[in-house]
Formats: sequence, structure tokens, C-alpha cells
Amino acid sequence: MKLEVKEINKSFSGKHVLHDVTFTVTSGKAMGFLGRNGAGKTTTIRTLMDVFKADSGVFMLDGKPFIPTHYRVGYLPEERGLYGKEKILEQLIYFATLRGATHKEAKESAEYWIERFELSYAKNHKLETLSKGNQQKIQIAQALLNNPEIVILDEPFSGLDPVNSQILKEVIIELIAQGKLVIFSSHQMNYVEEFCDEITLIDKGKVILSGNLKEIKSDMGRSRLRLNASHFTSDELIKYLDANIQNIELSQDKHSLIIECLNQKTKQDLLEDLVKLKLDIELFTHYEPSLNDIFVMKVGEEHA
Amino acid sequence: MHNVSKVLKFELQSILNKKSVQVTTLIMSIVVVIATSIPTLMVMFTPDESNDSENDVGMNVEDLGFMTKSELISLDLLTVYFGNDLNVYTSETDLRSDVDNGVINNGYIIEDPQTIRSIVQNKDMYSSTDQMMISILQRIQRDKSFAERGIDPMVVDTLSNTPITLHEEVLGKDAQSSFLISYILMFAVYMLVIMYGSFVSTSVAREKDNRTMEILITSTQPSALIIGKVLANAIGGLAQFSVILSAGFIGYFINQSNYPEFITSMLFTGLSWDSIVIFLIFTAIGYLLYLFLYASLGSLVSKVEDVGTSVTPITLLFMVAYIIASIGIQAPTNIFVKIGSFVPFVAILAMPIRYFLTSVPMIELLISMTLMILTSLGLAYLSIKIYRLGSLSYGNKFGLVKALKLIFAKDNIDLK
Repeated sequence: MKLEVKEINKSFSGKHVLHDVTFTVTSGKAMGFLGRNGAGKTTTIRTLMDVFKADSGVFMLDGKPFIPTHYRVGYLPEERGLYGKEKILEQLIYFATLRGATHKEAKESAEYWIERFELSYAKNHKLETLSKGNQQKIQIAQALLNNPEIVILDEPFSGLDPVNSQILKEVIIELIAQGKLVIFSSHQMNYVEEFCDEITLIDKGKVILSGNLKEIKSDMGRSRLRLNASHFTSDELIKYLDANIQNIELSQDKHSLIIECLNQKTKQDLLEDLVKLKLDIELFTHYEPSLNDIFVMKVGEEHA
Repeated sequence: MHNVSKVLKFELQSILNKKSVQVTTLIMSIVVVIATSIPTLMVMFTPDESNDSENDVGMNVEDLGFMTKSELISLDLLTVYFGNDLNVYTSETDLRSDVDNGVINNGYIIEDPQTIRSIVQNKDMYSSTDQMMISILQRIQRDKSFAERGIDPMVVDTLSNTPITLHEEVLGKDAQSSFLISYILMFAVYMLVIMYGSFVSTSVAREKDNRTMEILITSTQPSALIIGKVLANAIGGLAQFSVILSAGFIGYFINQSNYPEFITSMLFTGLSWDSIVIFLIFTAIGYLLYLFLYASLGSLVSKVEDVGTSVTPITLLFMVAYIIASIGIQAPTNIFVKIGSFVPFVAILAMPIRYFLTSVPMIELLISMTLMILTSLGLAYLSIKIYRLGSLSYGNKFGLVKALKLIFAKDNIDLK
């Protein structure tokens, strides 16, 4: 399946909050939907889920208009909520049947996810008796009922401790492996980086970056290299190279020095310069920015 | 719409499983059984009065004390009318002391044939002893005057009390016989609407408060949710109502033998199958009409604690309907009651009251019923729209008027 989000615009009370939002997601790949607070992630997702109607633009699934209720869609809203005073199993069965499952299918599916999230002991407890983290797991479980073809998770990791985050991570990896179309928004870049093939970065309601994460990383790190040399601290190395090599810009992170070649200077040229300086090179490799770097860089550019 | 039954089942289970509903039903049923057993309890706790000395006007002489200062009203004369068990006092102090100590309830001092003084410790609101005492003294003097003129008072009594037999034929309705049952049913419907109206609006507001609404509206149609919810509350209310009513019937039939005949007559004489059918039809339609209205108002708030304020206008409207129907019980042909029986928000109470107490032409019933059905359908449509609108506005609280403006705004594409 291929879900295309095309030029979505949305305004509230005259305030334009989504500007031509466009991106594509395909089955078997997870798309990380990134952005700062208030960037427009949740509004985009709510518009996709038909909670709000878009002012203009279309959602297409395999070339046809996408109507969420016509497909098995698992949705975890940003605003978490279930019935606190109802028994966990009963309410999960209810949600599953509302989405078209028979009672038997709903029960099987609900019991599977309750067990998967290690909450079988509490299936007949009222939701409000669980801890916040465990309630969060039930919220996620409701999104995964009925074997959904499309899974849309708005900030699924928020509120989860590391152990539960690991469980959810495994579940998402499993969903991707099963060929599901997965979209999730998050602030936590490490999770997105870990299993998202595609990312879409949104800021002030505009998509500022969208595409394959590997390609983006490669593209953004194309003219940069990592360098470490023996007998030099990073600061000493920066001073030394700055004085001896032309057409480079130097920076550093906690792993190494980062060299950017300027004015058509190639990696080969740089390597030759380094050899001439007879440095004892420990590390000389292609630089790939982290997702966090990309996020800060792109959002920073937009705000510059 | 195919999910209405699923929503209905879930919501109904939720209502019936609520401890508060179960406990309220149990307590109200017990209260009703006790209330319907009052005649039996009265018989059980009222002392056997068969040996009490009563005079021919029904006064309990043992509870009365007499002292006369008038020679014209002698104690001998009083015994003729009050019997031989008369408590006679020669001292006012003794009489006061016995009243004060509860030996007797009332003390009467006859100053002269036209003046008596009554001494009582605590006077009941509805006490008629004084009035009866005055009547007896009047009778004593009347008899005495007749006797002085050579007329036998007994003959006068016989002549002035010629028995007349009335054979009444009521062609329409007898308001007297339907009064009590009308009042009971009107009050029951009032409680049903107020209680379950509040339930349904709280139930809708809670879904916004606990953020379940977004999951629900992305899982099924808002129409299925609101209709299912309203029907579940309607059935829940009727189930509770039926249990309490059954408790009332059981209580009545157990204690039937101790009920005064006039109460039995007031309860059941006015009931006929057609009046029961009319009552059920108008109650069912009006009940749904109000529940849709309450559901709409519940959608307008984001917090459960705001529900009370939000539903106040509709509660006031229903109270107006109740007042008009109450007027209808006293004066079923009143013009306000007649007009009210065609206003859908009032007809739920006013029309059955009119039908119980007077003759209502079929055409009027049909017009009122049609207006109620159309209004209910309109409100169902609006409540679905308001529910959908409410789901889009977390954190915002707005009034019914603003909601209606938003719903009918041409550029509101979220509701299209």
C-alpha cells in the first residue's frame, strides 16, 4: 500500500496551521513524523484520520481517496483516553467490534495484546486501577486491535519507561516486518532513527524535509568527513589543521573532528593534504549526521 | 449506523453494572414498598379503638375534659350528647394540669351557652376537635330551643335529612378518579427525564473529559455513538423505572386489604388501556426528545463538572413543562395546558394529563404526537452534529446558540 498525503491545508478560525503538507508512506516501512511542539504533527494526523476535514488537499491510498473507516486502521491519538471505570478486556473488545470485528475475533485480538503487553493479570480490572505506564500500554493495545493494515501512532513512546519502550519498539519492528504501513510521530529521535526508513520533518505547518532517512543522512553528510589523530586533542587538531589546510571548515562532536570540504575541494584532496602533514590518523571516514543533528539543523535553518 | 447496537449494548451494560444505579434502584424500591405498606403499618400501630367511648358525632371523649360554669349547659345535658364517660372537672387548675401532663388532649371550659374556652397542650395543624365541640354546643342549644317550642328535634332531624340517591353517569372522563394516578405518573416521568437526562449528558461529557471521544469517532460514525448512547440510557432508565414500579405494585397488592376504598378507587378507576397506551407513547417520544437534548448539551462541555451548568436551561424548560402539567391536574381544560399539550417539550407531561382527566379528540393527539416525533428527529440530527462539533473542540466550552451557529455556518467543513 502507498499512502500519499498531497498538499493538505488546514485553518482554524482564520489561522493557517497546515501549509501544503505533502509526504508519502509505503507498506513495510515506518515513517517518522517529526517536529517541534505545535509544528502541526497532530493536526496532520487528525486530518488524515478524518477528525478534522482538510480545507484543501487529498489523502490517497493506492491511488484512491483514503477514507479511514474503509480500512483497518489502528490509531493512537495524542490525547490519550479510554474508559477509566470499565474493565480492560471489555472495553478493548468494544473498540474492536466497533471497527468491524466479530465478538470472537475482538476477544482473541484483545487478549493477545493484553498478554503481549504483560497485563493478563489485569484484564478484568478497571483501567483506572493501573499505573499510568500500564494504562499507556492499553492505549497502544487498542490501536493494534484487529490486525490493522495501517498503524498511526501519535507520540507512542511518551510516558513509557525504558522497559516498556523496548516492548513497544519490538512491536513496531514486528509490524514493519509484517508489511504494515506505519506512521508515528515522536520527539524521541533515537527511536525514529532506530526503525524508521522514512522521515518527514514539519515545522510551522510546513514540511521542511521528507524522504528516505539513509539518503537524507548521506546527502547531508556528503562533503563532510570524520577525523581523529593520535597525539592531538580535538582542540589542538582544529588549530593545527586550520593553520595548515585551506578550503575546509572544522567542527567537532563528542566522537571526532568533523571536516567539511569547501570550494570544490574533494575528499581525495583532503586526504593528500593530511598525508603531507604526516599525521598519525586513527579515524578517517564518511560523516553521517544523526537524526538529532538533522532536526536541529533543519529546524534551526527555518528559524534563522 | 450498524454500530448502534454495539454502542447500545456496551453503554447499557455500563449503566446496569454501575453500583450507584444498582444501589439507587434497591433503595428506591425499598422506599416504594414501605410507602405502599403505609396503610398496613397504620393498622398495625394504631391501637384497637373498638372499646373507646365515642359519642354519636365521633369524638373520643376519653381524651377530652369538661368544666361548665353555665347553668344552662349542665353536665347532665352534656352526658346526653357525649356519653357517660365524660371527664368532668370542677377546678380549672386541675383541668389545666391534666392537659399539661397529657392525661387528656383537650380541656373545654363552658363559660356560657355562647362562649367556650379550649385548653390544649399542642395543637395539630388539622385538628377539628374545636369545630366539632362548637357544633355539638350549637346542636344542644338548637334542640333546647325546639323543645321549648314544643317541636321534637328528632322529627326536625329526620325531615331535614331526607336521603337523596345520586346515580352519576360520566360520559367523558372523571377527573376525580384519575387525579392521584395522574399525579404519580407525572412525577415518575419527571424523575425519569431529570435523572437519565443528567446521566446521558454526563456520559457524553466524560468521553471528552477522559479523551475517549477521539478514539470513538475514528472507530465509528458519531450518529451510531450518540443514538446508541441515548437509547442505552433510555432503556436503562425504563428498566430502573420498571423495577421501582413493580416494587410499588407488589407493595400495593400485598397490602391491598388495608387500603381505604377511596384510594384504590383513585389509583385504578381512572386507568384504562387507552390511557395507558397514550401515556406510554407520549412518555417514550418525549423521553427520547429530552435525552437527545441532554446529550447535545453534554457534548458542549469538556469537563464533567461543567455538565450541571450546561444542562440548566433544559432542566428549567422541563420544570416549566412540569408546572404546566401540574396546573393541568387541577384544571385540565385550562388554555395554557391545552396549548402546552401541543408544544413538544411540554406535551410529554401535559397531553397524558389532559387525556387522563378530560376527553381529548384523536386529531389533537395525532397532531401533538406528530409534532413531538418531528422535533425528536430534528433534535437527534442536531445532537449528532453537536456531538461531532464537540469532539473537535477539546478544552473549549460553548453555549448551545454558538454551537448552532457553528453547525449552520456554511464554511464549517469539519461538519460536512
